[in-house]
Amino acid sequence: MLVEVRPPVVTAVAAPVARAPRLRRLRRALVPYLYLAPGLALLAVWVYRPLVQTFQLSFLSWNLLPTSAAEPVGWSNYVRLLTLPEFGDAVWRTVGLIVGLLPFTIIVPVVVGLAARRVTGRAGTVYRALVFAPMLIAPVAGAAVWQWLLDPRAGLVNRVLGGTTNWLQEPGPAQLTIVVVTGWHVLGFAVLVVAAGLAGTNADYADAAAVDGATPGQTTRWVTLPLLSPTLGFLLLMTVLLAAQWSFPLVDTLTSGGPVGATTTVYYLLWDYAFGSFDAGLGAAAGVVFFLGFGVVAMALVWLTERLAVHDA
Amino acid sequence: MTPLPLHRLLAALVVTGLLAACGFGAPSAAPAGPVGRAPELVPGQQVSIVFESYNLGQAGAWSDTFRTLIDEFHAGHPDIRVTAQKPQGSSANPAADAVSSVQAQLSTGSAPDVVQLGFSDMAFTIDQLKAKPLDALVGADAVAAHFDSGHPFAPAARGLAQVGGTTYGIPFVFSTPMLYLNTTLLARAGLDPNRPPSTWAEVQRAALAVRAATGKDGVYVDCVTRTAKDWCLQSVVRSAGGRVLSEDGHRLTYADPPAVEAVSMLAGLVSSGASPKLTQQQAVDAFTRGDLAMILESSSVQATFAKGAAGGGWQLGGVALPTFDGHPAVPTNSGAALYVISDDPAKQRAGWELIRFLTSDRAYTLIAQKIGYLPLRTGLVDDPAGLQAWAAQSPMTRTNIAQLDRMEPWVSFPGTDYLQIRDGMMDAVEQVVLQGADPAATLTTAQQRGAALLPAGS
Repeated sequence: MLVEVRPPVVTAVAAPVARAPRLRRLRRALVPYLYLAPGLALLAVWVYRPLVQTFQLSFLSWNLLPTSAAEPVGWSNYVRLLTLPEFGDAVWRTVGLIVGLLPFTIIVPVVVGLAARRVTGRAGTVYRALVFAPMLIAPVAGAAVWQWLLDPRAGLVNRVLGGTTNWLQEPGPAQLTIVVVTGWHVLGFAVLVVAAGLAGTNADYADAAAVDGATPGQTTRWVTLPLLSPTLGFLLLMTVLLAAQWSFPLVDTLTSGGPVGATTTVYYLLWDYAFGSFDAGLGAAAGVVFFLGFGVVAMALVWLTERLAVHDA
Repeated sequence: MTPLPLHRLLAALVVTGLLAACGFGAPSAAPAGPVGRAPELVPGQQVSIVFESYNLGQAGAWSDTFRTLIDEFHAGHPDIRVTAQKPQGSSANPAADAVSSVQAQLSTGSAPDVVQLGFSDMAFTIDQLKAKPLDALVGADAVAAHFDSGHPFAPAARGLAQVGGTTYGIPFVFSTPMLYLNTTLLARAGLDPNRPPSTWAEVQRAALAVRAATGKDGVYVDCVTRTAKDWCLQSVVRSAGGRVLSEDGHRLTYADPPAVEAVSMLAGLVSSGASPKLTQQQAVDAFTRGDLAMILESSSVQATFAKGAAGGGWQLGGVALPTFDGHPAVPTNSGAALYVISDDPAKQRAGWELIRFLTSDRAYTLIAQKIGYLPLRTGLVDDPAGLQAWAAQSPMTRTNIAQLDRMEPWVSFPGTDYLQIRDGMMDAVEQVVLQGADPAATLTTAQQRGAALLPAGS
């Protein structure tokens, strides 16, 4: 997004330039900003302006209708939000979702990535394409198929398992369903990122370890995985920040946040406040709280990754 | 000569732009002007309007029937172009998206002109979405004449979209709660199909008998989730002698003893094994497949059930809302009215023409036959040119019409937070019925939280 602009080279013989007309200097100084302007303008219009508006909205009571007035209400949206039991519940459920998704975004992709390295040539490409395929399925369409698969009586899942669990209408199973279906959906993306990370590691280290007599297992544990740690840090960050967003369309289509709120994550709660019951102020207050919360978490994670990750300098 | 602080200038500009840009909503002192008469369209005057209906979001009989109706309307009104659309959103039941869709479009400034919205959203539709009073748009006499034209509207249905004597909408698609039966399954369980269950106790016994004899599920009462909304819960609570909202509309009463008794009965169906734990969608699918013996549902799915019965080789039956011992059943209505929300006089008039057509004898004949909704022009079922032959084949319709006479309207909660109040109540009911929570305590907690959302002064 940001373009690095090299300052004009000023040499010792440039003395006459100092006396050049002011207009020319101005023009020269302006050029880099003109290059930046389109990007900055879009950033301001689409990111910073809505952000500022969200802060403003969070102090108003308004139902989003242009015909009704927005009343300033001070901090009362925040007070209401923090005293609502749903809020704390949704935060903990989101933490649970993130933890539940980590196997799908880190453990399985690493295993698949390492295993897929042994499949070379065209077979490897086909293999990776197959793993990536779920990512290409529109979440809502995928959810419709899952709905049939998970039907308590006629669905394939219960027929195979031989149980009578209603996967979408019992709190525990519904939470598990959302984790697994979201995991299924993002697995391909995570595998792709790991594969890219592996491709970027220098094979010389592994070769050197082999010359020193390291077994393949030792090489993986002590050479490959540490070299992969920046990639894994990135995936961890993505999972923490985006888990609730990845699951949103599935929650909306499969369970609508239910049964009795068991699958309501922070984003679904925010959306429900703002666009389900049209309490824009409360939704914006929730948005601000989550923005700040996720911001702190992201900074902590970035700091941690910087400290712990091994860089191939 | 110091270098120009261009970056500071730029930053200042951006911040000013960000802060200056944000005004929300209407100025609080903007009074709405009175709604004037929408003049008759002159011949040749081209008008195009947008009509939004949740029935268009349901594939099969619903959207097919509506498209046929719009085509017929175009044939009769060559100057009016109707764009028929379904609500935005992705709920399994598009009716759940109806209000939020209209509101979202209003907030972007391009709302549909004619909308079909549920009765429980009526207060909000009129106060906030600014549905136009039809009495002002076309005159009270024209509205009355429309109700009386052809086979007149059922008296119980006429006033459902009226507030303070002013008609805002024309009641449109409509049902009372019906207990649909898979008589084949009931017979296999050794029950007499000529003596269908009429009380909740009998329903529970029949359901358990079906489960024991066939291994299929017994009964599902589609009144216990957020998606179902609360129309049929209100029926069950009213039948137990309770109410969800006090008669003056100022107090929530769904944690009072009669309502608790009603919800406990529903919970008993589940805990005894008479009722499976299903979502609305799953239950409708299961009944259509023939895996469920009874379901309390709106007649909007009657055609779907009939198709399932024909395909699956089972017999479809239907009886009235079951009673609690010692109380008469009090059915309430589901369904929706048609409203004009356009501000443009030509579109308002064109919208009225569309509403007139959609609530005419012709439209009800088609809607009742193809979908199963109750024909609000009830005389049609005795008309040989209307629905007489069809009604003879589907005896459920007579039951539905008979319930119309003792029907009470579906009450909507007051204020702008009515949806949070309704959802809070339905969540509590679901928690009790499907998750086994304590009825009195759960409903009381929900009611206290709901009461805080009632508008001040009530």
